[in-house]
Amino acid sequence: MDDVPGDLPEAAARRFSEGAFTSGLTVPDFAACLQMGLEPAGYVQGFCVMKWGSWQFYPGAGAYGGYGPSVGSTHGGYSESWQCPHGFVSAEHRVWGQNYEQPWVEEAWANGFTSAYERLIEEASALGAHGIVGLVDTSAPLGDLGVLEFRVQGTAVKVRDGPPPADGRPWTTYLAGQRLAKLIEAGYMPVSIAATVASVRVWASCITAYLTEGTNPGWTSQAVGAEIEQTARAQMAVRRIARERVRSQLGGDSLHGASMGTRERELGEGDADLECILRGNRVRRFKEFDPMPAPRPTVRLS
Amino acid sequence: MTDTPQDLPEGASKRLAELEHGLFTSDLSVNEFLLIKEVGFHPLGFVMGSSIYHTGIQTRKWGQSQELTKLTEAMYNARELAMTRMEEEAAELGADGVVGVRLDVNYYEWGKDAAEFIAVGTAVKADNGVSHRNKLGKPFTSDLSGQDFWTLMQTGHIPQGLVMGTCVYHIAHRGIGQTLGSAGQNVELPNFTQALYEARELAMTRMQDEANQLGASGIVGVRLEEKSHQWGSHTIEFLSLGTAVVKTSGEVTLPAPTTIISLDN
Repeated sequence: MDDVPGDLPEAAARRFSEGAFTSGLTVPDFAACLQMGLEPAGYVQGFCVMKWGSWQFYPGAGAYGGYGPSVGSTHGGYSESWQCPHGFVSAEHRVWGQNYEQPWVEEAWANGFTSAYERLIEEASALGAHGIVGLVDTSAPLGDLGVLEFRVQGTAVKVRDGPPPADGRPWTTYLAGQRLAKLIEAGYMPVSIAATVASVRVWASCITAYLTEGTNPGWTSQAVGAEIEQTARAQMAVRRIARERVRSQLGGDSLHGASMGTRERELGEGDADLECILRGNRVRRFKEFDPMPAPRPTVRLS
Repeated sequence: MTDTPQDLPEGASKRLAELEHGLFTSDLSVNEFLLIKEVGFHPLGFVMGSSIYHTGIQTRKWGQSQELTKLTEAMYNARELAMTRMEEEAAELGADGVVGVRLDVNYYEWGKDAAEFIAVGTAVKADNGVSHRNKLGKPFTSDLSGQDFWTLMQTGHIPQGLVMGTCVYHIAHRGIGQTLGSAGQNVELPNFTQALYEARELAMTRMQDEANQLGASGIVGVRLEEKSHQWGSHTIEFLSLGTAVVKTSGEVTLPAPTTIISLDN
């Protein structure tokens, strides 16, 4: 194990230099991988701990106009703003609202995720693996430190009797076992995982604040059950940004088994922080689809 | 019943003596029971081992990330004792191995800083009388279910032992200067990354050392668990667990899967 990269911990190098393989696969997944000709080489992992503060960043007024979205941005990315239609000024009344993308959050997330992912790839490369299956990635706060830890873990595999990996960079997939077998059966091979985050901040306008908080004073002529336009547009935007970003990473391949999760952190008076994480497997067709045998009907005796 | 180990309670010897007359207890489900019979094993009895351990305290440096070796040893020894006692019960029954092992840690009101480590599982023996004990002559242990045990046997592997490694790590508090220095920025904290990374790798290396002692060819189902137990959020135990297996034949006898469609519901 002469070519262990310099920034892996010493214990990792020690672990890899020993003979036995380790695998995070369950036994059914292990059996399915052996059947496909994939031999586990080792359990591999990558981590990155990031300082994770809250952002107090006010981007300044966007485009000016009547009430309704006016699209424009002062710092790149999605942004639209709403002006108060009521025409009066008071300390309690929000005269202006804005949705904007937070590229600095997205960049920080991408940095943390990519650092952890690259370390995982380094570990797998040090093992001479062809690929990594059964990937799991999480990001979780660590204790009360105000830090966020990104973790990526998976099982490095070698193709039995296969040539050494071509460009030295193993393929990766969230799938393992029979689910991976079915993907390959269908004529697709895994290329890599794709993961991205989109972040949008909502500074509520007066109408959004009234509708969200249920404090409509009566003169805003908004019907009960009406859509809260600003929040709805932010929700749509955050999902669209995540989808577009993943699509731009695909480079002609397909995204398989995508899952999208949206989190909303409410900040009061209609203000909110929206986050959308999109994950999936980037796959590439390598052979024509050859229909599988017709399934045999079964009935469970329980 | 000549070689009853000294440290098993009297009640255990009595229970095990009854089991030797053919009655068996097990916590296997019906399906697991059938699958274990199918690969030529039968259950002998439900076995367990426990150890109440005073884990003590170790002074931590407020601003330094470091392994707490005394706590690591305590957590490791306590589990090892529980496992060994369970193995002794199994050996007493003449078992080849223990399947479905669960390792738990319980804290009780009456014991401050003390924890009960408990290992339970079902002892099994091969029908054909061929010994399947591991390299050390002890019954193998594994946390595999009956289904997993069956599948593993079809791939030409046999379990050797439930292997584990642990590392208790203290994560430094950040000084005010450091906190202010990076306020409002999202940057990597390489010291933290390195500390946690090191801790997990240590746990996994130790697990692998155990597997090597058993002459295993691999470890399946590795899990990495993280718990703060009762030490506060800055002290974390990293525990890695898996079943060490050895290859008995190069042959995978698992038939090609059949596609099915369920008519239930």
